[in-house]
Amino acid sequence: MESNAGTLETRSNRTALEREEVAALESLQFTDEIHRLMSAPATDNASSFTALLELPAPQAVQLIHSPDSAKLIAAPAPNVEDLKGGFHFPSNGGLIERAARFSVFAGEGNNKSDSPEATSNNSSANLPKAVKSEPAETESSQPLISDPTAENRGIKRKDREKVKGQTKKSKTTVKESSDDAEKLPYVHVRARRGQATDSHSLAERARREKINARMKLLQELVPGCNKISGTALVLDEIINHVQSLQRQVEFLSMRLAAVNPRIDFNFDSVFTAEGVPPQYLKELLITSGSLMDSNFSGMVMPMMWPEVQPNSNRQQYLQQLHFDAFQQPVWGREEVCNNYLTPENSLLSYDSSANSGNFLDTLNEST
Amino acid sequence: MHLPHSTLKQEFVKKWIMGLQRCKFSNNNMSIFERKKAIKLSADTAMASARKGLTCWSRALISNPDRPVPTTTRRASLACKKIVKRSRRIRRTAKCGAARKRQITRSIAQCLVRKRTQILKSLIPGGEFMNEVCLIEETLDYITSLRVQVDVMRSLASASVRASEPHN
Repeated sequence: MESNAGTLETRSNRTALEREEVAALESLQFTDEIHRLMSAPATDNASSFTALLELPAPQAVQLIHSPDSAKLIAAPAPNVEDLKGGFHFPSNGGLIERAARFSVFAGEGNNKSDSPEATSNNSSANLPKAVKSEPAETESSQPLISDPTAENRGIKRKDREKVKGQTKKSKTTVKESSDDAEKLPYVHVRARRGQATDSHSLAERARREKINARMKLLQELVPGCNKISGTALVLDEIINHVQSLQRQVEFLSMRLAAVNPRIDFNFDSVFTAEGVPPQYLKELLITSGSLMDSNFSGMVMPMMWPEVQPNSNRQQYLQQLHFDAFQQPVWGREEVCNNYLTPENSLLSYDSSANSGNFLDTLNEST
Repeated sequence: MHLPHSTLKQEFVKKWIMGLQRCKFSNNNMSIFERKKAIKLSADTAMASARKGLTCWSRALISNPDRPVPTTTRRASLACKKIVKRSRRIRRTAKCGAARKRQITRSIAQCLVRKRTQILKSLIPGGEFMNEVCLIEETLDYITSLRVQVDVMRSLASASVRASEPHN
């Protein structure tokens, strides 16, 4: 039971340190064990630390998002102050009772500035009871407080393999998800049963897990890759897919260039020369309208065509476009033309004959 | 990083139309190839800037938009097949225990994977400088963006075909 408690403690250390997006599978496994322990009568004589952690550990799965869980153990930099603030266990009377019983916390309120030392003393007091891997834990918890800025360094639990009585060994990895701004300083990896615990191989394995997770995403994206097993063949399919997409882009751009050799993309001369009706523009609006805003296209369509001359309409439209483009001349700028829709909306109210002169002037200025 | 399909499409269309407007095809003297190059350039740059600099390939594409046309690269796989055959011959002659076989197959698999990652790196813009993890993420993003680009261009092409039909 003590070994279980010891491992529970270390394991729950790990749960509190995990990032939010770590596999729920891990936490499920933890909660299984933890529930088992919870249902047993409270082993108060066992390491106080673990008893304290018995409650928060299952709730750590839900509390991972809250800063409270981070207070339990040495935490990354943003939570160090919380840690120093003391242990605030969320409303749990039974836990507070248990906390009150132990010497470390007896007579204290919640806030103690030397609670980190208290915890370390506590855990070191549990050394004889707990598993011998305990010192690895405490020693590593100290550098955690002092060095929170390291990113993704692995703490390798070399001693874990020697712990007996663990039926479940789970592997914990930290995914680098780029859309999460938080940075956890350490990657905690537990070795699988019967596998090497060399630090290099552990890092290798973590990396491979990351790669495999992303390969699965790629397999779902590329059609027809689900049934294939084996990295090389999947990569083959991905390469083929990318190549075919690139070739399609080439082909389509050639086709667009060839659609009408006399269409220059100002649309002006073509439409005047051939008298190509508003059909082209209509299609363009339909496609872009369906892409952008269906309401917009529905609005523009009925009102554009009753206006006087198709050519001048188009000119107005395109010159408005050009005008907007002129306002934001730089490609890489992130502000997209936000008023893209409004000039076209304003076109609706234009009297073409009155305003065509103005637009032609602007066009001449820009050229 | 993974935007929904529709917003990406909108961004792309907006920027592409802007870009097309800015390439002033003033005369009809441009050959079809120049025209095609300009279209492709504007489309690619629109695609890349729609990503707003979040991805590595988009930055690489903006800085170096002229990429070689993808050619078939089957030579690498042929080389790997040669290696496989050679190792099979060795396996037959040598004393093969189970561990030895496993070793050989693992090395063959590694060789194949390595060749393919090299090919993939040459395909993705800016791919030579990424490690494997980033490479796969970038591939994901690149594939979605390429799909958006192809969709938009195809709809535009079909629209223009439909438009020019009554006048042929």
